[in-house]
Amino acid sequence: MRSLNYVQRVSLDFTGTLFPHAICLGDADNDSLNELVVGDTSGKLLVYKNDDPKPWVTRSCVGMLTCVAVGDVCNKGKNLVVAVGAEGWFHLFDLTAAAAANKSDSSSQHESLCSDDQRPFFTQHIPANTKVILIRDIDGDGRYELVVGYTDRVVRAFRWEEPSEGSDLGTGQLVLLKKWLLEGQVDSLTVNPGPEGLPELMVSQPGCGYAILLCSWTQQDSSGSGDDASATPGSEGPSRDIVLHLTTGRIHNKNVSTHLIGSISKGSKEESSKCGLFALCTLDGTLKLMDSSEQLLWSVQVDHQLFALQKLDVTGDGREEVVACAWDGQTYIIDHNRSVVRFQFDENVNAFCAGQYTCKEGKNSPCLVYVSFNNKIYIYWKVELERMESTNLLRVLEEKPEFKQHMTALGVDAEDPAAVRALVADILYKDSKT
Amino acid sequence: MFPFVEDSFSRFPSQSNIYGLCQAGEQQLLTATLKGKVVCFRYQELQLKGRPVAKEVQFTYIPVDAEIVSIDAFTKSPPNRGLVVGITFIKDSGDKATPFLNIYCDYEPGSEFNLDSIAQSCLNLELQFTPFQLYHTEVQCEDGSSETVFLLSGHDQRIHLYKENASLHQFEEQPVERLFPELQRLPSNVLWLDMLGIAGNRRISAFGCQNGCVGLALVNQTGPEVLQSWRVQFDSPISTVLLFPLRCQTEPSHASGETSVEMKGYNLLVTSTIEMAVVYRDVHEFGLSRSTCLSESDQWDAVVCALVIDLDFDGQKEVLLGTYGQELLCYKFHPVGSREFQLLWRRSFKSPLLSIIYLDLTGDGLKELAVLTLKGLHILQHSLACTADLVLERLSQRVSALRAGSELESAQAPDIEERDDPAKDEECAAHSPSE
Repeated sequence: MRSLNYVQRVSLDFTGTLFPHAICLGDADNDSLNELVVGDTSGKLLVYKNDDPKPWVTRSCVGMLTCVAVGDVCNKGKNLVVAVGAEGWFHLFDLTAAAAANKSDSSSQHESLCSDDQRPFFTQHIPANTKVILIRDIDGDGRYELVVGYTDRVVRAFRWEEPSEGSDLGTGQLVLLKKWLLEGQVDSLTVNPGPEGLPELMVSQPGCGYAILLCSWTQQDSSGSGDDASATPGSEGPSRDIVLHLTTGRIHNKNVSTHLIGSISKGSKEESSKCGLFALCTLDGTLKLMDSSEQLLWSVQVDHQLFALQKLDVTGDGREEVVACAWDGQTYIIDHNRSVVRFQFDENVNAFCAGQYTCKEGKNSPCLVYVSFNNKIYIYWKVELERMESTNLLRVLEEKPEFKQHMTALGVDAEDPAAVRALVADILYKDSKT
Repeated sequence: MFPFVEDSFSRFPSQSNIYGLCQAGEQQLLTATLKGKVVCFRYQELQLKGRPVAKEVQFTYIPVDAEIVSIDAFTKSPPNRGLVVGITFIKDSGDKATPFLNIYCDYEPGSEFNLDSIAQSCLNLELQFTPFQLYHTEVQCEDGSSETVFLLSGHDQRIHLYKENASLHQFEEQPVERLFPELQRLPSNVLWLDMLGIAGNRRISAFGCQNGCVGLALVNQTGPEVLQSWRVQFDSPISTVLLFPLRCQTEPSHASGETSVEMKGYNLLVTSTIEMAVVYRDVHEFGLSRSTCLSESDQWDAVVCALVIDLDFDGQKEVLLGTYGQELLCYKFHPVGSREFQLLWRRSFKSPLLSIIYLDLTGDGLKELAVLTLKGLHILQHSLACTADLVLERLSQRVSALRAGSELESAQAPDIEERDDPAKDEECAAHSPSE
């Protein structure tokens, strides 16, 4: 197994503890560059920008923050930061104003704006015991929904609704769309294109399983009932509309904690639109890549306790690799062909995420983010690889048609590795008078 | 700026030291770790893919409580064949620590290069001194043939010579002064030794000592006799000394029609543990009088390893320094101007660097940089996309030169060839004794 050592990293100051889902990467201030959003157990929301070890903005929330997210949850074409506490307090922050304030040089104006902006511009109490959230279009209507997973095996979907179109953000509120009750703990929420190309809401289930949650309100809409979908939500049998899938294979413990990530990009647009790829990982070290027609692409068994699963395009070819991290810092990057690259982060990991972040060079680049247990967050900002597998120069040259032509012209047999090797060595290390 | 991409990293169970890495054969590396383990690193071809493989080699007669000090390997000078591996270690059995030198070599035809069978045939020599660097170099015998020998420095302020006794098929210690008169009466313990064969059957040898003394000698190999020798004193222990040739191009003169004249000079790089690294220019002519410092090289703790190679394929060598402060520094040589060596780039590692080697591990003609750190072995490969473009560009130049040459052939082709070839021959001759 190929093993690598990333060294280019920045360390950010972070005192406190956090829940594993209280960290995410996203464009919090709508400048097209991504920030790191972290929420801690004392209710502080921290947003880090670039390689600055101090938070760019700090906000206070009510309760223990269990999950944070960045997304256009209000469907206004503008990203907002969402922070949800265990007690059920939902907070919305608009950091675009903070970015503008930071840019203006007038300090007095800056202070007044800051003090005003410290509070979230919207809070709402939703059911407590939150664990994980997702902001995605789950029903294919082109609008974002908020999905919340709970520690009591419940998943709820919400939609932002406003009394009239075009009114201010502050006047809207979250409306419950549906509640699902599952058999096992939900560790991840994701959306994956189904076999017909429509989005499917998936949740992980213990023992390397997953469930597809059906959005029944869309059927009501299509049947032309005309009723507001939010009128009778959650009241019907909650265990309906759940399709449970258990994957086969070597599962030692059917209760083992399982993570899931979907919509893994295949590279070309037509392909990824239907039959999306998703990956599963378990705490006992099973990793699987499947597509939505339930076909297994590969399965990998490792002897590290995997607790976080992400996707990231490290090779820059448009295809996203699966990134899994273990408690002890061992990180696996696996591509669609099951080529593995390992990286050992040298400390135990409190929380992990991977994605695009703007660290040093003023543009988004793939990053790995580790939260350690000693008050630091480490961002590895140069994790791009030319390729997943080791190769040599001859294999790269053979792919180029002009190489064969030159070989024939020079009278060297391109099939003879020794002769080609000698020629390449001569060209690189002797032929340098140009 | 950094031209490499890390291809693989192998973590070792225990740490190594500055004498712990050597090249064994064309495409293999041997690394010795403190707890008596030797790891062989190479690229294995499997299903048309190259895979890095780090495998432990069970060298016989290394006890479990041994701590390896140094390792070295060489391929015997022709007409003899075979790989010879030397390992020095200290066996600490409680009351008294005993140092040993084990020399591994297989005489069985067909298995002279088979590492597993070499590891089983051992010559075990007990030493009367604590060993340091194990080095090998080629010497000229009386009958004109050449032979590769081991040189081992020790804490007894001497360097010991181990030479193969052809009739006995065995290595034995021989008096060092007979072949290396420049290595007698040393001022201190030698930490690092380097030799370079040059034209006219001569050799330059350099050593760096624990007390900061650097010795340099120009030796005529027939005799052998010391033609000239120099000494210089530093303030701290010398970590490496390295002899290397550099080509200087004089200003092109259009009048004579020639583009430029090449001058080759031999230089000595000295790195010490607290001072800046120094390059002494043209040592075969001027001794240790022309020095130039590598600025900032003392900024990242002690420089512990060094290498001089052509990294950017421009025909001019760069100086690489590895520091205990976890940095790899690259200095570019500028023939004109006051500051001859300028820091080109630096790259951080996760742990202190110990040793660096540049060799072709993947078997494609392009060399890789192997960096041994306290935690393991990093293999850094040139960015293949960029290098492939460079190869194609130079190939097309060659093709067009060939076509132009064949058109001219009837007229005056030999002229071009004569001018090219002697330079190349000399280069080869100068390189082979040191490798």
